[in-house]
Amino acid sequence: MASGEKRVEIEKELSFGPVHPALIEPYRIRLFVNDEIVEDCELNINMAYRGIEKLFDGLPVERALLIAERVCGICSHVHAWNAVRVIEGGLKIEVPDRANYIRVITHEMQRIASHLILFGHAFEVVGHETFAMRSFLLRESFMDLISYVGGNRVMPSVPIVGGVRPRADLTESLKRVILERVDEFEEKYKAYVTRIIEDPLVMSRLTGIGFLTKEDAIKFHATGPTGRASGWDYDLRTKMDEYKPFDFNVVTDESCDTKARIVVRALEIFESLKIIRQAVKNLPDGPVVNRSWKPGEMDFTTALLETYRGELMHSYALDSQGKIRNYKIRTPTPTNLAAMEHACVGDHVTEAILTIASCDPCLTCCTRAEVVDSGKSFVLSDLEIVRKYGWRK
Amino acid sequence: MFMENVLFFIPGLIASSMVAAAIAVLYSLVLPGIERKVQARIQQRIGPPILTPGFWSVLKFGYKKPVEPNAQMPGLYRSLVYFGIGIVVLLFLFTTPYWWAVLGWGSILGIAGLLKLEEVLYVLMGSQSQSFLSAGMPVPDLAKGSKHVEKRREYVEQHSAERALKMMAIGSLPLYVALLVPFAMARSTMIRSVVAMQNPAYALSSEWWSAALPSNPVLFTFPGILAAIVYFVGYVMLLNEKPFSILKAKIDVIEGGVLEYASKLRACYYIMRNVLLFALSSIFVTLFIGIPFDPFMPAMMLLNMALSLLLPVMLSVLVAFSPILTFRQIYPAAIGLSAVGTLALIISLGV
Repeated sequence: MASGEKRVEIEKELSFGPVHPALIEPYRIRLFVNDEIVEDCELNINMAYRGIEKLFDGLPVERALLIAERVCGICSHVHAWNAVRVIEGGLKIEVPDRANYIRVITHEMQRIASHLILFGHAFEVVGHETFAMRSFLLRESFMDLISYVGGNRVMPSVPIVGGVRPRADLTESLKRVILERVDEFEEKYKAYVTRIIEDPLVMSRLTGIGFLTKEDAIKFHATGPTGRASGWDYDLRTKMDEYKPFDFNVVTDESCDTKARIVVRALEIFESLKIIRQAVKNLPDGPVVNRSWKPGEMDFTTALLETYRGELMHSYALDSQGKIRNYKIRTPTPTNLAAMEHACVGDHVTEAILTIASCDPCLTCCTRAEVVDSGKSFVLSDLEIVRKYGWRK
Repeated sequence: MFMENVLFFIPGLIASSMVAAAIAVLYSLVLPGIERKVQARIQQRIGPPILTPGFWSVLKFGYKKPVEPNAQMPGLYRSLVYFGIGIVVLLFLFTTPYWWAVLGWGSILGIAGLLKLEEVLYVLMGSQSQSFLSAGMPVPDLAKGSKHVEKRREYVEQHSAERALKMMAIGSLPLYVALLVPFAMARSTMIRSVVAMQNPAYALSSEWWSAALPSNPVLFTFPGILAAIVYFVGYVMLLNEKPFSILKAKIDVIEGGVLEYASKLRACYYIMRNVLLFALSSIFVTLFIGIPFDPFMPAMMLLNMALSLLLPVMLSVLVAFSPILTFRQIYPAAIGLSAVGTLALIISLGV
């Protein structure tokens, strides 16, 4: 222990999960507490291995896309989009503007649906069922719109290599429906947000807990709205070519607490609505897909995308037959884990769970292990972990 | 009157207790359905049928295959819920007219004593229950490289028991302060005097069919209103309902000490909770409005039962619009409410 570092006595450990009514995914929260105050936290995510990266190996790109979309049920479009961005970047495939606009529209629709799921979950954790149910009710508008665009509420399968599926092209009547629904939604959503902000009991639960300073957010690699709620002005969308035609603000908050993480997401929804309106109104004419590409050898290529929870990385290579090799996915949640563990220190036990929920964890999207050994870090496959360490008993 | 004749009094007491207890248990099984319906309507849902959450669920759990609870002392753990039913039924009976004459149990002391016992039960249940959902989970989770090894691992129910202890110490204070106000106004510790002060017609009436209405209810006085507000919040605290449901917060301690009650034991727990809900509502009507639950005066009994819906309906509205508060908010709320209750008490003593 470094001199001057505060020594903390831990009275006991409280552990929750992986089977627990409040945890929507199989993970384990270990809280080390004194009375009600959390002194340290450990999140153990290694509860569900799917081996999804291994499934990609040897598949042709277009078949692999279907698996990429199934990495996550909430951000399915993002994974499909980023999977095609890898090959589009690697093989320099031109994507028509109209296709990019439709991808952005679907992306922002799913961002709204994802943030509303977080509100539903967070208010369930806060114990406010009415706000939670209202959030899910509001979300239905965008689930419907996603299904109108892609044909499916959860797996719309909009992007393909070189553009979007022709069935996802926006007709004039669909454009009108989207704009009408967006207006209707905005009115209801404003009333919903106002009610939350004006509710003193809810605000008392959210304010002043789960502090994560900007320095800590950077130090612990917090990403997405979790980092932006600590005043870190970082949004990958500002650097993406696909987002250049659109005018939107990066929402940040300097409060650095649980309320800030909710507020940042709440305000991001308004920015998403702004982007959707611009994209629908200014949708360029032209084809929605460029089919003039051939799969071939591609070096290891990486694509980054700002998803609803933060930065998402997909990377893979193609062999000489155009088959996928070494697919790697890094979802935002593993990057946010350390920030979550740090943020809940000092909270009451009940608040710590809320703090973790406010970082919007999606833990089973991709569980991997990274072993740091003598300063070198390397990644082991699930099988290697089991062979080397065995299933812990 | 029958109550003044010993020969009639004892059979009357037994008969009145049996009738009152039976009606209270049956009626209390309807209340959760009403609660859930009101909440559902606020949340723009249809909600369950009125009889499902109370009556049918108790019946259903009664027919489930018995499951042995995971507890340090399963026998004790099982018996606690039966004690609980006994306590809440007695609590209710003590506020019915026949019991007012028995050894002073129909008094503030009888009510407060039994309520305190009821609170102790949650501490005992929590310290006994050892569900596999926390420390007992058969998942190896002692991660290699953990900073904290060999720390004492606590079951979530035990943590709930600690919270129950805190709620006993401070959370229930407002209810007890509010309970004192009608007694202070009547300058007596007996329920009989409180009812007689508010409803002289009832004390004088001898016809079983009469419906004596109160002429001077405590609820319509300034200290009475203050005390009623404090009583309502204390009632929510004692029932461990939102926003004061910290000892059974689903997000961490799940159901708290009652987590391991399954099948018949769960049915018994529901009966215990529902009768407590009705008993506290009925006590409010008796003490603050002056209409007792008299099993031998049907009009008075029905009036008491109808007015007893007031608090559960208000509770449902509060639950629908409230988050769960933590001790960060509960301590100031309890202290503030106790202060308001004390103010009501001081004013009532001066009136």
